[in-house]
Amino acid sequence: MRRREFLLGGAALALAGCGVGPQSAPKPVAVKVVPPKIDGDLLIFNWTEYMNPKVIRRFEKHYGVQVTVSNFDSMPAMMAKLRSGNRYDLIFPTADYVNRLNRLAMLRPLDRGVLKNSGGIYDFFDDPWYDKDSAHTVPYGMYTTGIAWRADKVGELSESWGDLALDRAKGHTFMLDDFQEGIGQANLFNGFDLNTTAPDELEKSKQTLEHEKDFLRGYSTNPAPNLVNGSAWVHHAWNGDVVNARNQSKQPENLRFQTCKEGIPVGSDCMAIPANARHPGTATLFIDWMLDPETASENVSWFGYPMPIKGTEAAFAELAADDPAIQITTEQLANGSQFRELPPDGKVAWDRVWTEVKA
Amino acid sequence: MTDAFWRRFIFPGGLWLLFFFVVPIGIAVLISLGENNEFGGVTYGWHSEHYGDALDPLFAPVLLRSVGYAAATAAICLLIGYPVAYCIARYGGRRRNLLIGLIMAPFLINYLVRTYAWVALLADEGLVNSVITDSGITSDPVQFLNTPWAVVGGLVYGYLGFMILPIYASLERMNPALIEAGKDLYGTPRQTFWHVTWPQTLPGVLAGTVLVFLPAVGDFVSAQLLGGPDTYMVGNLIQQQFFGADNWPFGAALTICLMVFLGLFVFLYLRATGRREALA
Repeated sequence: MRRREFLLGGAALALAGCGVGPQSAPKPVAVKVVPPKIDGDLLIFNWTEYMNPKVIRRFEKHYGVQVTVSNFDSMPAMMAKLRSGNRYDLIFPTADYVNRLNRLAMLRPLDRGVLKNSGGIYDFFDDPWYDKDSAHTVPYGMYTTGIAWRADKVGELSESWGDLALDRAKGHTFMLDDFQEGIGQANLFNGFDLNTTAPDELEKSKQTLEHEKDFLRGYSTNPAPNLVNGSAWVHHAWNGDVVNARNQSKQPENLRFQTCKEGIPVGSDCMAIPANARHPGTATLFIDWMLDPETASENVSWFGYPMPIKGTEAAFAELAADDPAIQITTEQLANGSQFRELPPDGKVAWDRVWTEVKA
Repeated sequence: MTDAFWRRFIFPGGLWLLFFFVVPIGIAVLISLGENNEFGGVTYGWHSEHYGDALDPLFAPVLLRSVGYAAATAAICLLIGYPVAYCIARYGGRRRNLLIGLIMAPFLINYLVRTYAWVALLADEGLVNSVITDSGITSDPVQFLNTPWAVVGGLVYGYLGFMILPIYASLERMNPALIEAGKDLYGTPRQTFWHVTWPQTLPGVLAGTVLVFLPAVGDFVSAQLLGGPDTYMVGNLIQQQFFGADNWPFGAALTICLMVFLGLFVFLYLRATGRREALA
């Protein structure tokens, strides 16, 4: 080993030892499953506006604990916080990130046997692709990506991703500020696989993104306020966003959502307890609390996404009555396109496309 | 008191700089030389290719745009900030401190939160536009948001205080008798200002310009919340690598390159001010 390498390695080790900087390899941790029992206050790490605050307040009152909610706005942002050693009790990763967290051994095992309400979870999630035997996670929301729009501004749309490049909405169209969703819709629009990493296909999708950029007013992950405040007429959005927007709007009937005939990304996310959580007992209890059909229904009506829990269907049906396109079923999850973890050089290629388009 | 005694007081500040400046930069350099692993983490090593990527001409327009916005921000801050500081220093009387306190009051609120407030105010169907359209000034709403103007406006609002304070400090330090002397020598108010006041406050102006320009170049909040598709700044590019793309080594390499670039800028500034002080 040369001196320089030695010094560098030593410094890196020292940093890793201090818990500074991202870790590079999974460290196996032996953690016991804990019973659902209060062992302290709860610190939740979640997307913004992704859980009914009333449900949380009731939990606080019922168990006499304090619940703090902290927010992230993307999965890489969540990973960055976790990796730098922040300790949360409950997190909400998407399926592909559960896969990654598991390989990093960053999730605490969760035994469904200890959960009173676990029987209500759809069988579909007994052994999902992202978490063998559901040993670390409980499913939370099911979502799809499509286009939300203001019918009072642009009339009817054509159920195609081409609606993101619409002359009559030029300068009033927003794309999700998310590299997966951005490139994903371009791939689907061109008839490619959602997760393609073929260079010629990515090149074509890049051209699509550049064409769409001419019609954009911005990139944003906050569709609801953009639609409600009139800046956006057409917005690349998740299905729950339109429910959220309707709840904030004075004219909810003008807010619509469509899926696209070229195909749509579908997905699900989870509740999980990080391996370094301070209060896994309270977190387990909270998961059980969320699985209660009545609580879950209250949550569904507020955040706008279907939950795979028996007894919540009526609450979602009420939302979907206005807008059947927001519906998402386990059949769609089984057959539809889901974002997968890309191979390392594929990931580099995607990053490059997104960076080049935005620069 | 001996010099040796006073020199000891360098230690607290020195330690602070060591832990919160030198060490973080060392970490950033280490990460920039590392390699992105399959978990989105960093494997430390000795790879320089991220610097090659960071210097890709593709990013030149992003950097130029950032410098342009930051320069515009500094200029507008100076145009707004100087008269404000001047009025407070000259005519504020015993309410000076209160007035300066009021200028600084918005800074007690987080910059991000204040920028969100701008979004609510300036949206197409926001408060400002509803006042404009209801009063019949225009029939269609004016598009304020998602424009370069909005980005620069957000930056000006965010960093104005850093311009006002140093200018105010240099004006307050200035002896008012100098202005009277200028008038006694038959200088018009304008001549007195340019020959007496302005040179006296130039150090404050330069300090304010640097204090505004530097953070504005690297800012990402304003462009992210108020910007459009063509207002991508270098701060957004770096933020994207850390929180959007899981590519820490590239983000760190960009950061180091930006720091070297801005370091050069500060070096030139220090040399310029040093020379002027030597002349004075």
